[in-house]
Amino acid sequence: MSDSSDILLVGVGGAASKAVRKIVASLDFTVRSVLVDTDASTGRDGGDFVLFGGDRLSGAGSGGDVVQARLAAEDSIAHMDEHLAGVRLAAIVTCLGGGTGAGAALEIVKHLELRGVASVVFATLPFRFEGEERMRNAIGVRSLIEEHSSVTFLLPMDKLAGGDRRMDEAMSSALAVLSAGVSLFWRLVETPGYISMDTARMRKLLSGARRGRFAFASAEGPGRVDSVVAELQSTSLLSAGDSPVRSIFCGILAGDDLRLAEVAQTADALREAFGRVSSFNLATVNDEKNFSGKLEVVAMLLESDDARLDNDADQTSKRGKKQQSSLSAAPLGRGRFNNVEPTVLNGEDLDVPTYVRRNINLDF
Amino acid sequence: MTNIYAALEIGSTSTVLAVGEAETGGRLKISCKAKIPSTGVKKSQIINMNAATQSIKSVVMAVEKQQAEAGDSLTIGNAFLVVSGRHVNADMYQATVQVEGAKVGDDDIDDVVEASRLFHLPKDRELLDISDLCFSLDGLSGIRNPKGMSGRILKLDTLQIHADRNRIDDARTAAEGAHLELRDPLFAAACAADAVLSESDRRSGALVIDLGGGSTGYAVYSDGMLTAANAFGVGGDHVTNDIAYAFQTTQAHAESLKLASASAVLQGDYDAVPRTNLPGITPIVQARTISRRALDTVVNLRMKEILSIVRSELEGYDMLHRLHAGAVLVGGGAYMRGICELVQRELGIPAKIGAPLYVDGLESDKSPAACAAIAGALMFAHRNYERKPAIGGFFKRFFK
Repeated sequence: MSDSSDILLVGVGGAASKAVRKIVASLDFTVRSVLVDTDASTGRDGGDFVLFGGDRLSGAGSGGDVVQARLAAEDSIAHMDEHLAGVRLAAIVTCLGGGTGAGAALEIVKHLELRGVASVVFATLPFRFEGEERMRNAIGVRSLIEEHSSVTFLLPMDKLAGGDRRMDEAMSSALAVLSAGVSLFWRLVETPGYISMDTARMRKLLSGARRGRFAFASAEGPGRVDSVVAELQSTSLLSAGDSPVRSIFCGILAGDDLRLAEVAQTADALREAFGRVSSFNLATVNDEKNFSGKLEVVAMLLESDDARLDNDADQTSKRGKKQQSSLSAAPLGRGRFNNVEPTVLNGEDLDVPTYVRRNINLDF
Repeated sequence: MTNIYAALEIGSTSTVLAVGEAETGGRLKISCKAKIPSTGVKKSQIINMNAATQSIKSVVMAVEKQQAEAGDSLTIGNAFLVVSGRHVNADMYQATVQVEGAKVGDDDIDDVVEASRLFHLPKDRELLDISDLCFSLDGLSGIRNPKGMSGRILKLDTLQIHADRNRIDDARTAAEGAHLELRDPLFAAACAADAVLSESDRRSGALVIDLGGGSTGYAVYSDGMLTAANAFGVGGDHVTNDIAYAFQTTQAHAESLKLASASAVLQGDYDAVPRTNLPGITPIVQARTISRRALDTVVNLRMKEILSIVRSELEGYDMLHRLHAGAVLVGGGAYMRGICELVQRELGIPAKIGAPLYVDGLESDKSPAACAAIAGALMFAHRNYERKPAIGGFFKRFFK
C-alpha cells in the first residue's frame, strides 16, 4: 500500500473487488487500495480488506439483499476510517444490482462525504439478462449514490461487454473493460505529465458535478488520432446522458512520440463532438515504457448540477471542504425554493422552471 | 362509546386535521375537518419548527371549536400522521423460512409473515407501511396461498414503504409543541389509494397519483396488492413558482392564476382565447394582461415533467401496462384544468379525479380528492385500532 498517495481505490462487492485487483495488477506502481465486501472470501487473496457486517451476516455475503448490505455497512463503516488517513479523493468501483455493490457503496459515499473526501464512483448497471430484481436494486440506489458522491459514472454492463457475446463471457469481458478504463484514469491522476491532473485539480474539476459519462479509446500507427476520436464519437457510453454537459475532461496517454498537433487535434475533435461547454480540461501522460507508439484517450463528460454546488457551499464549514462558493450564483428561477434543498434528478435542478431548463421562449 | 380517531397532514400548502367516528354498521364518518394555510413547510418538509407548531395549534383549535359549536366537547390528544415528500421510498424485501413438514401449513405461513415483520430498516428510516405481495416455494413464485403445497423453502415478498426518521421526528416535535401526540406515520399516496380505489380497481390494476403542493406521490395496485409506491419533491408549488417567475409576479398572484386560468394541456387555437388579467404589484409593475398560451405552456411543461417522472419509474417496475383501471388523481393538483387529459396522454391510461369511497361526511366537500389521503388514514385507524387497539401494526394488505 502506498501511504503517501492521497487517492484511494475502493472495490465494493465481489465482482468489483475482482476488477480492482485487476486494476492494481495492471499498474506498474503501487496503488493505495482497499476491498470491501460482506463476503469474507473476497479478502482471502490478500491486500487491504474490510468485512462489512461480520456480526450480522457472518461473512457469508448479503445474498443480493440491498437493505441487508446497507445495514451491514452501517454496522462496520467506522472500519473504513483506518484506510482513509490523508485521503482526499476516492475512486469507488462497484457493480450495482448486487446487494453489497448497491447497498454498501451508498453508505461508503455518504461516509466519504461527511469526511470531506471527494468520491468518483464507477458503477456498472446489470446486464438485461440478470433480471428485473437486480435492475430494480440498481435503479433504486443509483440516485442516492449520485446525491452523495462527487460524480458517478454509470456504465451499463451491456454496453461495456459489447457485441453478441456468450453469457459466460459477457461478465468477465465487461469487467475487463471497466478495469482498463479505471486503470487509465488512475495513471492520469497518479502520473505527472506535461499537463498533469493531480488530486487538487481533479477535485476542482468534479466540484459541482454529480453524474458523468466515461469512455476511453486507443489506437496505434498513422491516423491514430482519427481512430480514437471516431471511436469516442461512436461509443454509446458517451451518448447515454440526458443532461447538458457542463465540462469535458480529456486525458491523453502516449509515449514520447506524442506530438503537440495530436493533442490539439484530439481536444478540438472532442469539443466539436460534445458541444459548447463551460470548461474543457486536458491532461497528458507521457509514458514511453507502457504506451510506446500508442495513443490512449480517456474522455469524461461531466453533467451540469449547479444547484448541488450551491448546496455544498452551504455545508462547507461543517465538512471542512473548500469550494469556490462565492463564485456560484443561484440558478435562475428557483424563487421560493432558493433556500431549500434542491430537488435534483439526472443532474437537473427541478426547482428551476421547466420552461427555463428547456429553453422555451414564451409568447407573451 | 363511539371510536374516534384523528389524522393530521402537514402539507406545504395547508395543514389539515380531520376527525373520524365509527358509525353503526361499520362505516366511518368524518365528523369534523379543518384546513389552514401551512407555514414553515416546504416540499412537504418542516423548515421552521415554530411556524409549523403554530399551524398545528391553529388547526387543532379550529377542529375543537367546530366540535364545540356542534355541541361536543372534544380535546384532540393524538392523531395519525399522513406523510409525503421526497424522503419517502419503497423497497422490496423477501423473508425466508424453512417449511416444517412436507407441506406448507398455517404455522409456516405465520412464520414467514412474522419474519417479514422482524426485518429492521436502517436506523435513519422509519417504516410507514408493509404490503405482502406473493409467496414463493422452492423457486416457484407468484403463489397467492401456499397452504397445502409441497416444498421446503417458503419465501414472502413484501413492499416496505419507509421515510426519513428525522423528518418524521420533526413533525412529532412540531405536534408536541401543540400538545398533540402523533401516532403511526402513514404514507399519503397509499392512504389515498385505500380511500379512493374500489376492490375492482385494485384487482384490475390502478395508479393513484397524489398531486400535492410540495411533492408528488404515487401508489400502484396490481392484482389486488399494493405493488409500488414512491414520492418525489416536485408538486403544485413548483407550478406556482414557474408562473411567478415567467410573469414576474408574486407567488400569491401566481397561485391565483394557476387556480383560475391555467390549463395543463395546450388548446388548439389560442387566437380566440382572451388574454388573462394580472394585477399590479407595485406602482412600477402595473396591472397587465398575459397570453393564455404562455401561461398554459409554463404549466403544461411542468406537469408533463412531473408525469414523466412517474412514467419513468413505472416503466422501471414494468407496471404501466398492468394498470387496466387507469389512474386516479388525488390531492389539490387533481383539480387543475386539463390534468386528466394530460395524464391520459402522458401515461397512456385513462384518468379520473378520485373521491373517498368508503367514508361519509364529505358529501358537501367541494374538493374531496384533496381529502383522500387523510380519509384513508382515518380508515386505517378505524380498521386496525377498533379491534386491536393495543397493537401498533400495519396494514396486512394481502390477508385482510
